[in-house]
Amino acid sequence: MRILLAEDDPLLGDGLQAGLRQLGFQVDWVRDGEAAQRELRAQDYVAAVLDLGLPRMDGLEVLASVRRAGVKLPVLVLTARDAVTDRIRGLDGGADDYVVKPVDLHELAARLRALVRRAHGQPQECLTAHGVVLDPAAREVRQAGLPVALSTREFDLLHALMLNAGRVLSREQLEQQLYSWGQEVDSNAVEVHVHHLRRKLGNSLIQTVRGVGYTLVRSPAEPG
Amino acid sequence: MAKALHSLQGRLLMLVLGLVVGVWLATAAMTWWDVRHELDELLDAHLAQAAALLVVQQAREIEEGDHEIDSPTLHRYAPKVAFQVFHEGRLALRSANAPDWPMAAPGQRLQAGFRTVAIDGIAWRVFATHGAERDVQVYVGEQVSSRDSILHAVLRSTLWPMAVALPLLALAAGWAVYWGIAPLRRLGRALAQRAPHALHPLTLDGAPSEMTPMLEALNGLFARIAALMASERQFTADAAHELRTPIAAIRAQAQVALGEADDARRRHALLATLQGCDRAAHLIEQLLTLSRLEAGSAPALVLLDLSALVRAVVADIAPRALQKQQTIELDAADGCQVQGDAALLAVLVRNLVDNAVRYGPAKAIVTVVVARQPSCVLLKVEDSGPGMTESELQRLGERLFRVLGSGEGGSGLGWSIVKRVAAAHLATAHVTRSVALGGLRVEIRWPAILSAAPSMRQAT
Repeated sequence: MRILLAEDDPLLGDGLQAGLRQLGFQVDWVRDGEAAQRELRAQDYVAAVLDLGLPRMDGLEVLASVRRAGVKLPVLVLTARDAVTDRIRGLDGGADDYVVKPVDLHELAARLRALVRRAHGQPQECLTAHGVVLDPAAREVRQAGLPVALSTREFDLLHALMLNAGRVLSREQLEQQLYSWGQEVDSNAVEVHVHHLRRKLGNSLIQTVRGVGYTLVRSPAEPG
Repeated sequence: MAKALHSLQGRLLMLVLGLVVGVWLATAAMTWWDVRHELDELLDAHLAQAAALLVVQQAREIEEGDHEIDSPTLHRYAPKVAFQVFHEGRLALRSANAPDWPMAAPGQRLQAGFRTVAIDGIAWRVFATHGAERDVQVYVGEQVSSRDSILHAVLRSTLWPMAVALPLLALAAGWAVYWGIAPLRRLGRALAQRAPHALHPLTLDGAPSEMTPMLEALNGLFARIAALMASERQFTADAAHELRTPIAAIRAQAQVALGEADDARRRHALLATLQGCDRAAHLIEQLLTLSRLEAGSAPALVLLDLSALVRAVVADIAPRALQKQQTIELDAADGCQVQGDAALLAVLVRNLVDNAVRYGPAKAIVTVVVARQPSCVLLKVEDSGPGMTESELQRLGERLFRVLGSGEGGSGLGWSIVKRVAAAHLATAHVTRSVALGGLRVEIRWPAILSAAPSMRQAT
């Protein structure tokens, strides 16, 4: 899952980026409000962690501006402003969650997973499709009750497809989900990962829509 | 007694009763003196008149025959009065209680007039006189004690009502004082009933005008304490707010270090954790400085050499600037004296120079100037750092505003500290864009000390 982190404090930003990476997120880190606004509008993130006291543009302004531009991704505000009025302003201003510093990295990750899950209309903790169960918190995939060993990229790819079950995702969209800035992306990386997933989980799970991308067809038993 | 004096009611009561008793006693003493005087005059006159009568009577009786007569006792007071009539040295007439010998001082010749003599141990007031031909001598005496008993009777009748009235007066005065100081008791009760942290003004219905200054002073004190507590609360809130980010950073980095398998990355996270601790410590120091400044205690100002002080601070910070390959220059004129508190001014200068070095990139230039100007002493710190935009300059000094995005963690408290230290020294602080170097230019101006000799140096 690729998220945007907007935090101007170098030490905290560095820590959050490293910590969230450990917990399976791809993290792009920007240090001011203008950059945050630009990246949120340009790129396809599953969620954003937004500090409010950002230079050049306040976090709340960033939020209002991207919401006006129709960006729907879940945004978690992480700030030192703890007054109730601040929380209300933040949530009413378009934030999906409001967390006061300091925060436990695991809690932050769990909140982000919950936000992503809800944003995709998935009330359950685990994603299920065609007998494949994906547990985002444990980063575990089981098929017919048996664990399936997946690489980080394979897991992220499957996670993205399962979250967006029933939608076709382009190769670029999937790449964006898999790689953060500064990471080398092979031109056929997505194809390679899809190939591996099919080998491990069977051919019928992920379908190719020629010229468009990949999709995971909802199993008939799945709700929605 | 001492306890009664510590109570207002006791003091008032003792004062009132003491004064009343004093005035009464003085009145009684004056009455006694006056009555005795009048009594003496009246009774002496009676003695004299009685003597005159006796002289006249004796003169007539001499012609009728000469014989000694004892006059009868006609009144119960009569034993206290006595008379003697001598004719040619012989006792001619006397009262029953009078002695045979003349009621004059023993061995003395008759002297006309009043005197007090002792007869058988009793004091007598005696009037002596003689006839025109000096053959008749008359003594009329009266016991002094009889006069005293009249005097005492008169005084008793004056003092008795007073003695009876005194306890009643004490009760009445006690009641009056009790009700008189009732507003004080009400105030005491109102204060005792207040919640320990209540700081709203105290209102007392029907408080007498004498208590208004006290109430006003008390309410003024409450207001000052409330302001102080509000400022303390604000400080606590600000401190908590300011400390959240560094602590969040420490926590995140420590957690990263815990979960990191790669040695190099774990080491990086641990170093970052340490760095975060240093930053939090520095921040706490800044917050405490600010808190002390806001507590409002005016610093003790002494005449000190600003140039020497700035030189010491720059020398202290220079190694860090050199580490960043920055150029730091000081141009300090001699004789730049200001009234100030050395420790606070060092904090101010350190904040300015440290700020320039900290936020300046590698190879930046920092210049520090101390100069005397005709009307002021100037400290100027300029740098070639990133500077600030107009809106950032405007927001500077809002308590929680930081100069952000510089890659250096800062709290934004530095400028607040500089401004408050400057204000405590009656100095002005201005921050603008540096024309010469492109970064920030901060100027602090102290009013010139009038007594100092005018300097010929002119800052450029």
